[in-house]
Formats: sequence, C-alpha cells, structure tokens
Amino acid sequence: METLSNLAFGLGVALTWQNILYCFIGCFLGTLVGVLPGIGPVATVAMLLPFTFGLGPAPALIMLAGIYYGAQYGGSTTAILVNIPGESSSVVTTLDGHQMARRGRAGPALGIAAIGSFIAGCIATLLIAYFAPPLAELALKFSPAEYFSLMVFGLIAAVVLARGSLVKAIAMVCFGILLGLVGTDVNSGVIRFAFGQAELADGLGFVALAMAFFGITDVVLNLEHKEKQQVFTSRIGSVLPTRADLRACFWSIVRGTSLGSLLGVLPGGGALLASFAAYMVEKKVAKPPRAFGAGDIRGVAAPESANNAGAQTSFIPMLTLGIPSNPTMALMVGALMIQGIAPGPQVMTERPELFWGLIASMWVGNLMLLVLNLPLVGLWIKLLAVPYRLLFPAIFVFCCIGAYAVDNKVFDVYALAGLSAAGYVLLKLDCEPAPMVLGYILGPMMEENLRRAMRISFGDPMVLITRPISAAFLIAAVALLLAIALPALRAKREEAMQE
Amino acid sequence: MMRIRSPKDFWAGLIFVAIGGGFVLLAQQYRLGDMHRMGPAMFPTLIGALLAALGLIIALRSFVLDGAPVPRFDARPIGISMLAIVLFGIALQWLGLVAAIAALVLVGAYASREVRLVDNLALAAVMIVFSVAVFVWLLGLPLPLWPTS
Repeated sequence: METLSNLAFGLGVALTWQNILYCFIGCFLGTLVGVLPGIGPVATVAMLLPFTFGLGPAPALIMLAGIYYGAQYGGSTTAILVNIPGESSSVVTTLDGHQMARRGRAGPALGIAAIGSFIAGCIATLLIAYFAPPLAELALKFSPAEYFSLMVFGLIAAVVLARGSLVKAIAMVCFGILLGLVGTDVNSGVIRFAFGQAELADGLGFVALAMAFFGITDVVLNLEHKEKQQVFTSRIGSVLPTRADLRACFWSIVRGTSLGSLLGVLPGGGALLASFAAYMVEKKVAKPPRAFGAGDIRGVAAPESANNAGAQTSFIPMLTLGIPSNPTMALMVGALMIQGIAPGPQVMTERPELFWGLIASMWVGNLMLLVLNLPLVGLWIKLLAVPYRLLFPAIFVFCCIGAYAVDNKVFDVYALAGLSAAGYVLLKLDCEPAPMVLGYILGPMMEENLRRAMRISFGDPMVLITRPISAAFLIAAVALLLAIALPALRAKREEAMQE
Repeated sequence: MMRIRSPKDFWAGLIFVAIGGGFVLLAQQYRLGDMHRMGPAMFPTLIGALLAALGLIIALRSFVLDGAPVPRFDARPIGISMLAIVLFGIALQWLGLVAAIAALVLVGAYASREVRLVDNLALAAVMIVFSVAVFVWLLGLPLPLWPTS
C-alpha cells in the first residue's frame, strides 16, 4: 500500500505541467538524436546534458530519463528501418526487425517495439517503486567498509560483463579512479594532481570527460570510416500489429520484460545485455520456432521489451546505492552531482519529490513514447536522410557548449580537446571508455569510504573481510574474476558476444 | 629475440605503466599517512601502483598472446576536431558565443573529407540561431554573446 501512495505522490510531481513538458522535451530530443545512426544512448545523454543545466534537480532528472529511453527507442527505429543499429542494444533488433521491414511489415515491427517497450516500461517502473525503498533502507545501514566492498564488487561485475579484455578493462577502471581524484581532497584540503592549475581545483570536469570519450571520439572514428550512403526503400504502412501478431508476442514480451528487468539491475548490465539475452532465450524457447532471423515478430518484441525493462531497472542501483551500473547511469550520477545532490540511499528520504517524481515520470514518459513515436515515424525517417557531414559539426557545438556551461570555464573546453585526443588513442588500442567513466564516478567515493573504514578499524584492513556483508561482496567479486578467467567460461562469453 | 605479438596490447600496457607510475610519483609530494589515518597520497599511490602493475602484465602478455596490429591513425579527423574545439574556447573567451560557434562549425567541418562551404555557412548560421535562442534566451545560461571589453 505504501508503494501505491508513494507512486501517487510521485505522479503528483510528475504530472505538474512543467514536468510533463520536460518529460516530453526529453523524450522528443532523445528520440530525435537516438534515431541518428552511430549515436548511442550514452552519447545522446552526454550531448543533451546542457539542455538541463538551467533546470532544478527534479525536472533535470526527469528530462534526462526521458532522453535516455527516447534514445533507446530511437535506436530501435533506425535498426528496423535501415538495418543500422542506432546503438549497440538494438543490434539484435536489426536481425528480425529489418527482415520484417523488407517484407513490407516495417509498420507492425515499429508498432510491436513501441507496445513491448511500453508494457516493459510499466512493469519495470512498478518493480523500481517496489524494490528501491527496501534496498535504500538496507544501504543506509551499510558502514563504510560495506560500501567500499560494494563498490569494488560493482566495478568488477561491470567490467566482467563488458566487452573486450578483462585486464585492460580493470586498468581503465584504475585510470578512471585516478582521474576522479584530481582536484581538492575533501579530507585534507590538499589540491592533488592539478599541476598548479587553479581550474583543476574542483576536479577534472565530468561533462568534458564524458563528451570527449563518448561524443567527440565517436565522431572522429565515424569520420575515419568512409561515409556510407544509406538507402531507405521499404514502406511503413500501418503501424498497428494484427491480433495474431499480438497473440504471438504476448509471452515474448513477458519473457523479455522479466529477463530485462533482472539483467538491468546487475552492474554492467542494462539495456545491451538484456536485449542480447532476451533474443537468445526467445530463439530457444519460443514455439513454434518458425523463422527467427527471417522476420519473426517475436524476435523484435522480446529484445525490445527487454532493453526497455533493463534500461529502467538499471536506475535501481543508481537511485538506491548511488552506484552507477553502466556509463549512462554514471552520467545520471554526474548530473545529480552537478545539481548539488550527493547520490546515495539518502536521496529517497531527503528528496522524496525527486525520487518518486522520477519514477512516476518514467511511466508518463513511456506512455508519451508510445503516442509520440507511432505518428512521428515519418519525421524520424526524414532525419535519417540528413548527411553525416552536417550532423557532426552540430554534435561539436553541443559538446563544446555543454563542457563550457557546467562551470562557465573555458578551461573545460580545452580539457575536452585534450581528453578527446586521449580517448582517441585509447580507443585505437581497444581500451573501452565505459569502465573508465564508472571508475571516475566511484573513485572519490571509494577513497572516502576506505578512509573512514580504516579510521574506524584503526588501520586494520581485515575489517573488509571480518564484516559479513562486506566479505560477501568481496568474495562475489573474486568469484566473478575467477569465473571469467577460467577458459571454458571465457570461450562461452566470447561466443555470446560474437552472436 | 622476443617478438611483440600483440602491438595494441604492448602499447596500451606501456601507456598504463606510464600513467600509473606518473600518478604514484606525483602523489609523493603529498602526505602519505598510514592505513589508520590515510593521507592524501595513500589512495592514489595504491591505485596508481595497481594500474602500473596491470599495465606491466598487459605489456608482457603481448609477447605471448597474438593480437591485432595498431590500426592506422588518421591525423585529419582528430587533428581538425581538436583544433576546432580549441578555437571555440579561444573565441568564446575573447569574441563571444556567436564567433565561437562560427569558428567551430566552419573549421570543424574540415574534419570530414567532404566539405561544402555553402552548406557549412548555412549550418553555422542555423547553429548560432538555435544555440542563442535555446541556451542563452530559453535556458538562461550565462554565455557571453559578443566580444567583451
């Protein structure tokens, strides 16, 4: 019952006309940018961050959440219509979605993606409302030792599930932590690693970092590859799926939603893993196994439901523990900090309007996506015709203004240029930026909690192992590392990533 | 003689060793403290050492495991992009947002091999109008529009 009254309170916040407007703008802009091929949700959220600077915390977060699931949805549209995934989490949607489009069934494919996403979004919202409060309460009881171990576990789990070499990913986490430590040390007041630059006293700008690694470097790498001219041929037709489609998809949506909700909570999980897993499960479970890969509508419904459910439940660890499970959530944490709010379990009790307003707005946003996207499909298709040479300078403009406007410092613009070069070199050497951003966000928190834990235990590191919950997190982290190091499992993981 | 079999890993490892080692060295100018009372140098030293160690593993592993060669670095896109962003910063400080966006768009466009000046002039105009309307007027961000002083 409390959940319902909390949700009602949240709806009261989300349904004020300003917040509806910001939610709408967020969904609209998110979809608009998300539709563009090659710009994923992380880049979209980073790029559109400056649009929220003038707003208060609740509207800003509501708008960012709208941008996030708008970008997800936009990516699916591109995947179905042009066979180019707008982002990695819609890669599997291209398999059956584009085949449907080729057979003149683009409309129902888009329709079922929207309907599946909506159902998944509603269920995931309820799950967040139900599970977040007890988790936050539990987290409030954590001592610094538990918190530190939880963050170690979160980072390890995130890199284990990430792409590419494990050692490199852990190294990138360390690099991120070190970058996060630049600036004034809260404990001693010493300014660290600033090279005498007064501008670095507040730390290396997070927005500049995120935009450099996910915005500018992406553009540069896209420019290196020869521009491909995409030709769109298929017609959309009616977007409403038939009754038979809906009947076929019902269980796919249910399965996708459950799997997605579960995987979204895991560190490193979120939308990408959810959609891949859902598609693989669907291929094995769905009966009759008809024609997966050749335009089976269930091959669109399941991953689309899963990625939306995963996108939403990944808010659970961010909102309750203050721990981002993927780079998009790291951006959300960064946005909270820009608004002057320390992320963590206390947000729910201290800023209930923010917490419940955001959750309720997710439901509003999903409804908006459903009514917004189906009629606007025509507009999104036109966007696909805009050549990249006109898009990327616009991305530059948003990134530069965003980097400057966080603190009104020109220094951050130069930092953006420098970090872009660093990100470019690292990406060329197959070092993924995602673990680095997580490390950057968690680094200062880890230091602070380790310091407090050591203060309490009189410098005895064994406290991390003697406290049961803390020990459990560390054991889980080690178990994950061992599991991935074992060759059999590694082969399996690579196989899963290949697919 | 030992042969580098995975150049990407080799260079990535060296970079990590340099960064980790660099942070450890830089941290030594601050107070280290002990585990009970960790000084500002303690945590960066621990993490920097870990990074350097991981970098060493990655670099050494590149003699054993096979991997891809380092891909070609295309100087034009990254170089022009950085130049355009730096120009944006300089122009914003001295000439204001309008000139800064114009510089960013017109120079940045050359990061692509395909440049059409007329289109880019139009794009710059559109971006200026949009940014001024949305960021300065609508959102009220304190961006200087014109040259100061």
